[in-house]
Amino acid sequence: MIKVSNLRKVYSTGSVAVEALKGVTLTMHKGEFVAVMGPSGSGKSTFMNLLGLLDTPTSGNYWLEEREVSSLNKNELASLRNQKLGFVFQAFNLIPALTALKNVELPMLYAGVKPQERRQRALLALEKVGLGERLQHRPNELSGGQNQRVAIARAIVNRPSVIMADEPTGALDTKTGEEIMEIFEELHREGTTIVLVTHEPDIAKHAKRILRFKDGLLIRDEEVTNRTISSEEEVNHEL
Amino acid sequence: MNFKEFIFVGLEGLRNNKLRAFLTTLGIVVGIAAVISVIAIGEAGKAMIMSEMESFGTNLFQVYPNYREGEPYRPVNFTKQDVAVIKKIAPEVKYLAPMKYDQGEVRSTIGKKNTRIIGTTADYKHIRNVEILYGRFFSEEDDAVGKKVVVLDEMLANDLFNVENPVGERVILQGSAAVVIGVIKKTESAIPGMTPDNYAYLPISSMPGGSRWENVGSLFGSAASKEEVYQAMERVKVILERRHNAVDHYAVYSMEQEMQTVSKVTGIIGLIISCIAGISLLVGGIGVMNIMLVSVTERTREIGIRMALGAQRKDILIQFLIEAIVLCAVGGLIGILLGYGGALIVALVLKLPPLVSWWVVLLAFLFSAFIGVFFGLYPANKASKLDPIVALRRE
Repeated sequence: MIKVSNLRKVYSTGSVAVEALKGVTLTMHKGEFVAVMGPSGSGKSTFMNLLGLLDTPTSGNYWLEEREVSSLNKNELASLRNQKLGFVFQAFNLIPALTALKNVELPMLYAGVKPQERRQRALLALEKVGLGERLQHRPNELSGGQNQRVAIARAIVNRPSVIMADEPTGALDTKTGEEIMEIFEELHREGTTIVLVTHEPDIAKHAKRILRFKDGLLIRDEEVTNRTISSEEEVNHEL
Repeated sequence: MNFKEFIFVGLEGLRNNKLRAFLTTLGIVVGIAAVISVIAIGEAGKAMIMSEMESFGTNLFQVYPNYREGEPYRPVNFTKQDVAVIKKIAPEVKYLAPMKYDQGEVRSTIGKKNTRIIGTTADYKHIRNVEILYGRFFSEEDDAVGKKVVVLDEMLANDLFNVENPVGERVILQGSAAVVIGVIKKTESAIPGMTPDNYAYLPISSMPGGSRWENVGSLFGSAASKEEVYQAMERVKVILERRHNAVDHYAVYSMEQEMQTVSKVTGIIGLIISCIAGISLLVGGIGVMNIMLVSVTERTREIGIRMALGAQRKDILIQFLIEAIVLCAVGGLIGILLGYGGALIVALVLKLPPLVSWWVVLLAFLFSAFIGVFFGLYPANKASKLDPIVALRRE
């Protein structure tokens, strides 16, 4: 499903070049629920953005569903993001001017889905994430949990191959965060591939596999067997 | 996305940014309305001055003694015979009247007034299209026998008499009696000073000094047709020079030449007005530019979100293009309506003809639209070239 080899990303701000990702190689299979963990500056978000085709790698290869995508042009990337990927961000990234329903319809608009079908599919997606009402409200009239539900509905509405969630519970309280994670678990049970970036062990424990990043490198790749996840400190201590 | 959906997304963008839409529209409205009304006022003023001058008659010309600086003064006179001969041998000269200016006191039974006096012939009536309110202008016969008659203009008549129609009344003009035979209708003019008021017109032969023409300041003539004006002027000049054996002692001017001079002046006024209008357009344009730059730049994150969800660069550009076009079209339309309205109101108040040239409307509209579209698209284009993650990180 996803295969990367020696993926590198260098940011050059002025004269200083920062190597955010120093060569990562791994494979993810269809239906996996993977958590990417690591302290800030570890390169986990950079890794996520590269997987999400929101950013382009400096070097290395990336195969998304058997297709080499690291050297595609912007338009090809846009249509891949539209068709194959769904995004859930920490800051929701809903368009403030649009209603919940319109926000969910947006990916289908760019996919060329007919208005009537768009509406139907958006309603279904919203129902699935547990938001049956307040659909004509705008993001600033909704709670954080409701906004994140809208964002998840938007992420799944185009039936993507992978859902990329970057700290989806970062802006939410623990209880709401748990509710959101249950939605992800439900999606996982239905066979959706999920990549989740988090630094919270309690969130990561919902995943089935954990990738730990540090200083731009993948330092550990582990299956979650029991439901206790060691925190960053414990991992560091271990190492 | 099809075209209809693009329009829909664009309109949605506007509906969701009402203040910005309003401010942008306002900038365009003000710019266009200002240009249209200012230029309309200028054009109307110009047209009014020209029509005023045309009402004097475009076939008009004047003959003056030609004094040149540095030369000794050589007196040249116009004689009664000059006029008679010219009219006889130059068919292109239809009318020719002497203008002898004087000033003096005119008394009636109830009042007196210091007034300007013009001694002329019956031709004057035709040359200046004199409109008679009461009675008549003096005739050739009156002039031939030196009849003591006078024609007053409406204003002077009102000052001297308290009856509506003073025809037949007597006045004392510069010490000698004369009968009022006519009153000239006051011509309505919007330009101050363009209507001659407080004039008394006498047959030149009845003026003090009798039929001597020494002090005739100029000749007023009108050509048989507009095309013959220059020919007529030249004939008059040549005949006068030959009869007085005085080459270069006469100067002729046509009303058309005067109009050209005036139109040069009004042209300069028009240019100044256009500059003012241009400045208001520019100010409006800068307003539009600012709002567009700021508001579209502000939406970089929105552009990032849309791109993350699969919008291609052209989707983004078309969305912002449609938003800008709709803003400019609506603003332009309101601006044109307001500009027309403004021009109409000013025209009504100043009694000017409302003139709005279509090219002004078009120019003002195209300029504002160009500014709006360019500065709406420029930041959108810039944002659409970013990697989505960069656009997403912008606040």
